[in-house]
Amino acid sequence: MNDLGLLLLVSAMALLWSRNMQYAVWFLATQGAVLSIMVWTSTPLTPISALVAVATLGVKGVLIPGLIHRIMRTWPARFRQDYPLPLWAYGLAAGLVLSVGHVIHLLGPTALIQNALLFFYALSSIHLGFVMIVARRHLLSQLVSLVAIENALVVLAVSVAGSLPTFVELGMLIDVGIAATLMVWMSHRIHHELKTTDVIALRRLRG
Amino acid sequence: MAESFMLSGPVLVFFAYLSGRRRLTAIGWSYAVAIWVSLWAIASLVRVWPTLATGHITPIIIAITNVIAASSAWDSRLWLREHPHVQPYRYYLWWSLFWASLIGIAGAHNLGLAWLMVEFSTLTSGALIIEVGDRQALEAAWKYILIASVGLILGLIGIVFLYASLKYQNIGWSTLNYTNLHANFYRIAPIVRTVATLFVVCGFGTKAGLVPFHTWLPDAHSKAPSPVSGLLSGVLLGLALFTVRRFVAAVPTARGVWMSGDHLLTAFGTLSVVVGSLALFVQRDIKRLLAYSSVEQIGLIAIALGIGTPASVTVALLQFALHGVIKSGLFYGAGHLSIQYQTNRLNKITGLLTRSPGLAIAWALGVLALAGLPPLGLAYSEWLIFRQLWQHHAYLVVAVAALSLTLTFAALTYHLIRTLWQDIDADPAAAEFGQEVG
Repeated sequence: MNDLGLLLLVSAMALLWSRNMQYAVWFLATQGAVLSIMVWTSTPLTPISALVAVATLGVKGVLIPGLIHRIMRTWPARFRQDYPLPLWAYGLAAGLVLSVGHVIHLLGPTALIQNALLFFYALSSIHLGFVMIVARRHLLSQLVSLVAIENALVVLAVSVAGSLPTFVELGMLIDVGIAATLMVWMSHRIHHELKTTDVIALRRLRG
Repeated sequence: MAESFMLSGPVLVFFAYLSGRRRLTAIGWSYAVAIWVSLWAIASLVRVWPTLATGHITPIIIAITNVIAASSAWDSRLWLREHPHVQPYRYYLWWSLFWASLIGIAGAHNLGLAWLMVEFSTLTSGALIIEVGDRQALEAAWKYILIASVGLILGLIGIVFLYASLKYQNIGWSTLNYTNLHANFYRIAPIVRTVATLFVVCGFGTKAGLVPFHTWLPDAHSKAPSPVSGLLSGVLLGLALFTVRRFVAAVPTARGVWMSGDHLLTAFGTLSVVVGSLALFVQRDIKRLLAYSSVEQIGLIAIALGIGTPASVTVALLQFALHGVIKSGLFYGAGHLSIQYQTNRLNKITGLLTRSPGLAIAWALGVLALAGLPPLGLAYSEWLIFRQLWQHHAYLVVAVAALSLTLTFAALTYHLIRTLWQDIDADPAAAEFGQEVG
C-alpha cells in the first residue's frame, strides 16, 4: 500500500515538474491505475469494491487521460507545451510538503491517522496539486491538477479511514468524469476561439 | 422519503426529454416543462403547509426551491425565444439536472450526499453557462467549475476526517447522516472537529459565494442564462449556506474555540456584506450589479445563521425566501432589459420609465425591495436579523452591517435613478444609441 502511495507522490511531482502535456497524460493515467489497485486491495474484495476499482480505472485511468490525449492530438505541437514553472512554485511546493510532518504531529494524539506514511504521501500530493493549479498556465494543466488533487484525496481517505463509503466514491467518480468532460470540451472551444491555451487569456471578466 | 419523491420531478423531466424530445417542438417542451415544474411547486407548497408549525426547515427550503424553479422555467421560455442560437433541448436537459441537484441539496440528510449534490450542481449550472456560447461565458464557466471544485475538494477533506473518526461504527455512508454526526460528535477529537469545521465552512462557503471565496460568483452569475442566474443567486447560494448550518449544528466545536462554525459564518458573512456593498458602487454591468448584491445578501444570511439560535435560523430562512424571490425576478428582468437595450452596460440602460413604464415600475419595486426599503419584504427580515444580533450583543457586527446596508441602499438607488430617468439626450453617444435601437 505504501509503495502505491509513493508512486502517487512521484507521479504528482512529475506532473508538477513536467511541461510536456503528453507526458502529463501518462502520469495521470498512472495515478488512475495506482488508485484502482489501491481500491482493489484496501478492503476485502466484494463485488461492490471490485466495481469501484474497475470504475476508477475506467474513469481516471482511461476516460480522462484519453479525452485529454484525444483533444491535444488535434492541436499544433506548440499548444501541447506548458510554460516554465516559476521559481516561487518550487519553494512553495517544498514548504508545503515539509509542513505535512507538522500536520501528522498535530493529529497524532487523535488516532485519526491509520497509516502515517500513506497520509504523508497523500497530503503532499494534494499540496503539490494545489501548487500546480495556481502556478501552471496551460488550460489542461489546471484540469490535470484538479483530477490529481481528487486522486490524492482518495488516498488520503484510505490512510485515515481505509476507504470512503461506496456511494460517495461512485458519486465522486461520476462528478469528476462529468467535470473533466466539460473542461476538455471548454479547452477545445477556448483554443478554437482564442487561439491560445494560456489561462492568462481568460481575463476579460473583471471588477 | 418525501424528499426522494420531490426529486422524481426533475428526474421525470430528464427522462421525458431523453425519450420523447422529437415528439414535441421546442415551444411545446418549454410549456410542458414550465407547467410540470409549476405543478411540482404547488405540490411542495401544499406539502409544506402542515409542517410550518413543526419548525422543520427542509420542506420549506424545498418549497422555496420549487417555486423559484417554476418561475425560472417560465422565464426560460421567454429567454430561449430571445436567444435562438441556444439549443433548447440541451438547455432543458441540463436545466432539469440542475433542478434535481438543487432539490438534492435542499433535502439531503447526509453530509456526503449534500457534498455530491453541491458538486453536481456546479457541473450542471456550469454546462448551462457554456450553452450561452460566447467567449465570456466560456471564461466564466471555466473559472466557476475550477474554483468551486477546488473549494469543494477542501470541504471533502473535512468530511473525510469526520468519516474516519466515526468509521468504527461500521454503518457505511449513514455515518455522515446529520443525526448520527450529532449523536456522536463528542467521540470526535476536538482538534479534528475544528479542522473539519474549517474545511467544510470554507469548502461550502466557496459555493455559497462568501468573501473571500467569491471570485467566481460575479462572472458566473452575470454570464449564465438569466433564468439560471435567478436559480444560482436566489436558491443555490442559500442552499450551500444551509448545508453549512446543518453541519455546524450537527458537529459543534469544543466550547471556547475561536474557529467555531458560528464564528466563521459570522466573520465571512460580515466580510461579504462589506465587500458586496462596496462593490455595488463601481459596477458597470447590470447582471454583475445583481451578482454583487447577492454576495452582500448571502453575507447577511450567513450572519443570521452564525448567531445559531432557532429564532435566528428562522429569520435566515425568511431572508433566504424573500431574497430568492426578489433576486430571481430581478435577474429575469435584467435579462430582458439587456435584450431590449442590446447591452448589459448600466450607462446605456437609461430612460426606462419613458421607454417601458410597466417594466420600469416592476424593476423599481424589485431594486427598492433589494435595497431594503420598508415596507417591502427584505426590510422586515433585515430588521429581524439586526434585532437578533442586538439581543446577542454583537454590537460590532451590527455597526458594520448597518453601515454596509446604508451604502447598499445608496448604491442601488443611484443605479435605479440612472436606469429610470437619466436623460439620454444629455449624452450624445447614448442618444445616438437610442435612435438606432428605437
